[in-house]
Amino acid sequence: MLLEVLQGTEAGGFILIQDTVKYSGRQLLKSYLNTALKREEEIVHVLGFETSEDELRDGLDKTSAQRLHFHNAYSDPLGWTANSPFTVHQFTVEDISTLLKQTPQAKAVTLVIDSLSWILRHHPPAVICQTLQALKKGGAVRTVVGLLHTDMHQRGTVGSIRHLASAHITVAPETRGMGAVAKTTRRTKSGKLMQDEQIFSINEELSVTVQSKHSHPGRSHNNTDESEVDPTANLTFNLRLSDTEREAKEKLALPFVFSKEKKSALLHPGPGSGRILYEPDANDDYDQEDPDDDLDV
Amino acid sequence: MAAPIRSMGKPTGDRLSCNTTSFQKRSRSKLVSIPGTRPSVQNGQLIVSTGVTSLDYVIGGGLAVGTLLLIEEDCYDSYSRMLFKYFLAEGVVCGHELYVASAQDLPDDILQELPSPILDDVASPKPVESQTKSCDPDSQDAMKIAWRYQNMPKVQMALASSSRFGHYYDVSKTMDPEIRQAAKCHGFYLPEHSSTLTSLSPSATGQSPMSEAYSSLLNHIQEVIHREGFDGSVPQTKSRNILRIGLHSLGSALWGDDLCCSDNPDNGHALTTFLYGLRALLRSSLSVAMVTMPSHLIQNRSLMTRVTRLCDTAIALESFRGSDKETIPLYKDYHGLLNVRQVPYLNCLVSDLPDNKDLAFKLKRKQFTIERLHLPPDLSETVSRVAHGGLAGAAVLGSSGCGSGTASNKHLDF
Repeated sequence: MLLEVLQGTEAGGFILIQDTVKYSGRQLLKSYLNTALKREEEIVHVLGFETSEDELRDGLDKTSAQRLHFHNAYSDPLGWTANSPFTVHQFTVEDISTLLKQTPQAKAVTLVIDSLSWILRHHPPAVICQTLQALKKGGAVRTVVGLLHTDMHQRGTVGSIRHLASAHITVAPETRGMGAVAKTTRRTKSGKLMQDEQIFSINEELSVTVQSKHSHPGRSHNNTDESEVDPTANLTFNLRLSDTEREAKEKLALPFVFSKEKKSALLHPGPGSGRILYEPDANDDYDQEDPDDDLDV
Repeated sequence: MAAPIRSMGKPTGDRLSCNTTSFQKRSRSKLVSIPGTRPSVQNGQLIVSTGVTSLDYVIGGGLAVGTLLLIEEDCYDSYSRMLFKYFLAEGVVCGHELYVASAQDLPDDILQELPSPILDDVASPKPVESQTKSCDPDSQDAMKIAWRYQNMPKVQMALASSSRFGHYYDVSKTMDPEIRQAAKCHGFYLPEHSSTLTSLSPSATGQSPMSEAYSSLLNHIQEVIHREGFDGSVPQTKSRNILRIGLHSLGSALWGDDLCCSDNPDNGHALTTFLYGLRALLRSSLSVAMVTMPSHLIQNRSLMTRVTRLCDTAIALESFRGSDKETIPLYKDYHGLLNVRQVPYLNCLVSDLPDNKDLAFKLKRKQFTIERLHLPPDLSETVSRVAHGGLAGAAVLGSSGCGSGTASNKHLDF
């Protein structure tokens, strides 16, 4: 499922890549950039706060490099020199949409934010959430991709931003081997949730290969246990019935069983059982009215 | 003791005979008859359905008009969103007016996702089916165990009251646009309203403890209630109706609230102040509200408790998706747990709590059901009954039929 998210099969929405200091998610982000650039008629805008343009372009597909627009906020993020191309204070819906309008119109526009952690240090989280939601809904951008260093923020802040994401990938180093583990969660438009945990590696050409599915240790144990046990193998007593024994068993009427014969015997008393004989007396006060008159019988 | 009563009864006998009986049929004509409402069995309050029949049962029959239901969202807001839509769909089917507020999606988008109602009874004959199956003459090899009890009525797992109230919905289909458009709906989409408000008066609202978003929402609700006459300003001759207010994901960051983001939010009173205002509005009008909140994001527990206290009914959903509980065999039939945090005390000192606190929910295609959680029979070899004693005891409460069986001992006796 990691590959599906990276290839953008389900278009649109907000994809969040979460990493920690133990394993950087930037390679994964670059891999996403690369696949996005390979698609025709797609323009990618990058708001770069943490890497220079050269570093970001390094390794990316050269043929489609002109469709990548880098907005440099790395050299002067706070606008101290007064001629900064992009500052952190410009992270508003209006400023971003004017940025997007400067380039020729395309079918699909992807906005990559590298990284959200930088912006979160200069804006209140609620404002960023609103901006992201507005970008997602606005229509000018098809997909918003953000990198977030989760160990830099409070749990609630990370949770709030993750709450907005339509897909989020959490990367962590694998305990043994060279690969990394990616936990992918995707929410479809109907509200269905899909989760997956995969071990992956990224090669020099920035293509992602999924090595194996991360197996849950708890589940695999259950499967092995079941095949071994056969409790009926060596028994000191007989569990099977022979035909005569079964016949005898079926003949036996169990107590408290309300069979059909028993029921009919109770309802229709046969000959020889008792009956009530009653002859009306002259003094009898016989009520002509039907006592159940008011009932719908 | 019997004698004095009899002697007292005699002189009044004549009077009674002309009156036939002291029992009187309770006439509903005294109450305002509004479609989709009925008086509560417990306290006579006018109640409406939440749209989920078993949820109605859990919270004591239904939502009383003028009260506030809080739903604590599950982690990915999938099931709470479902409940939200059920609530609105029930309003559409009953012909109530709707008020939808959201900061995330356009109200019209939410309305387009409403599930389609099942107007003929399809869901009801199910329990009968399962009962007949269990009573079938068993095949030859089947063991007859506890045949004494086979004629006993089955314990009903799904919670539902005996009489029909509310409707069932088919989640896989969306509601027919014709039915949907028949209902009158007022929408509030925060991004549209906040922009107009900031241009008007940024300084005036700075003084109040309520944040800008909340105060504009409250003003808008108040305006709708006054304009449409839900507060009783309309003369009695006009037919009355219920306003269903649904507020989605209140307290999330999209409402401009930092409750979710920090442990000590700056405007921690904003939401509680809003809820006080909303409650006051609801109490004095013919309206009922459902609020969902992403409580798993809210860091400050005491604040969440305060919010719960301000609502009348509060339930919490806990989805198994994405948590380690998904693999626990006890939970394999269910989609999540449902906690009843609070039930209202209306005109009485005690409220009726559900008899079992362990509730689980599952979402089927045609029904959202809440059931009592019970332990399936454990068939594995190495079972330590002692360890599971607490859970097994809880399950026995719900099933009276096999209480003696589990209580016996841990080995099979031949």
